[in-house]
Formats: sequence, structure tokens, C-alpha cells
Amino acid sequence: MKEQKIKNQIRRLRFDANEMTQAELAEKASVTRQTIIALEAQKYSPSLELAFRIAKVFDVPLEDAFQFD
Amino acid sequence: MQFLNNYSNRELNIWAELILDILVSFYFFPKIFSLIIDGQLYGDVLVGIIANTIIIAIIYSIFVFGAINALTKKEEKDERDYIYELKSYRISNIIYQVSIFILISQIVVFNPINPKPLTDFTAPMIAMLLLIITLLSSTGKSLTQLFNYRKNI
Repeated sequence: MKEQKIKNQIRRLRFDANEMTQAELAEKASVTRQTIIALEAQKYSPSLELAFRIAKVFDVPLEDAFQFD
Repeated sequence: MQFLNNYSNRELNIWAELILDILVSFYFFPKIFSLIIDGQLYGDVLVGIIANTIIIAIIYSIFVFGAINALTKKEEKDERDYIYELKSYRISNIIYQVSIFILISQIVVFNPINPKPLTDFTAPMIAMLLLIITLLSSTGKSLTQLFNYRKNI
């Protein structure tokens, strides 16, 4: 499978955010839990809008949550 | 219940659609084709088979889709769902176009020049072939969606 070039720190950010669950993050970012699972497994590159939404949930700059390899 | 936890509501619904397509295929088409081959496809017989198929589909839908939606939480579609849906429609469209092209080629080009054609393309036969193409296209759509969902888990 083609490797995704956009890496993310969602799992670490969830852990830092008082061990937020995938379901809680999914609800706050208005996506399904399966999308969060795929993101954490680095198997799905989100749209720019979703990336901003997730960064906003954790209150961090976009580049702290997502990096381009 | 572990099975239900591993699959989202959407995936289970797609599985249910796929199984319904297969059930309909195994019930409907063998009956229709045997009637076409025997030359006994009359209106009342056809109506009976279609009515039975619709009743089976309705009963299946009530129980299976009802159970899925009662046991799992329904979720709003997100961007990933829409992307996979578009990919599956693309595959479905390719299957549809290629199948129609093959069917037209058979009818217009090969059938008249072939002394022993595989079948006579009568109106009921063409209607059934179009139904099969529709079903194939729908199955291709469901399989593509399931493949994409499982690939990324």
C-alpha cells in the first residue's frame, strides 16, 4: 500500500489531553470513530479542514498535530 | 456482539446490502432464466416471481437493517465516507459501462453473424441481462466500499 506522507501526532495528543477517547475526539471533530482509527494508524490523510478541526480540539498549532514528510 | 463492535453501522449496512443482492440473485435469476429458456415467461408467472422477490427483500430489510440500526449507533457521514462512496461509484460506473458495451456488442455485432449464438436476445432476455448488470454494478460498489473501509483499519 502507498505510504501516506502526512504524519500525525493524534495518539500522543489524545494521551496528553487527559487520555481523551477516540469516540470523544471523533465527536468533537465531527467525524466517525473509524476515521480517527484510520488517522491514528497513519492510513488516511485528512482534508485541510479536518486537520484544522483536530488541531483546534487539542488547542495546538496545525504543525504540532500534522507533519508533511 | 464482538463482531458488531469491530464494524461500524455503515459497514454493517453495506454488508447487509451485499447479502441482499446475493440472495436476490440466487432466488430470482435461476427461476427467470429457466422460464426464458423454456419459453414460458408469461406476464402472470413473471409477476408472481417479482412479487415473491419483493416480499423477501422487504422482510429481509425489516429484520436485518432494523437489527443493525437497533444494535449499533448510527453515525453521520464524514469526509472519509464520502471519498469511499465516490471511489465505489467510480468502480460501479466502470462495471456498468463495460457490461453494457459487451451486451451491445453481442446483440448488434456478434449475434447476427454467429450461426449458433449462445442465446437469442429476446426482449425478456435483454431485460434480465440489464438487471444482472445493475446487480453486478451494485455488488461492485458494495465490495469497493468494504475493501476501502477494511484497508484503512
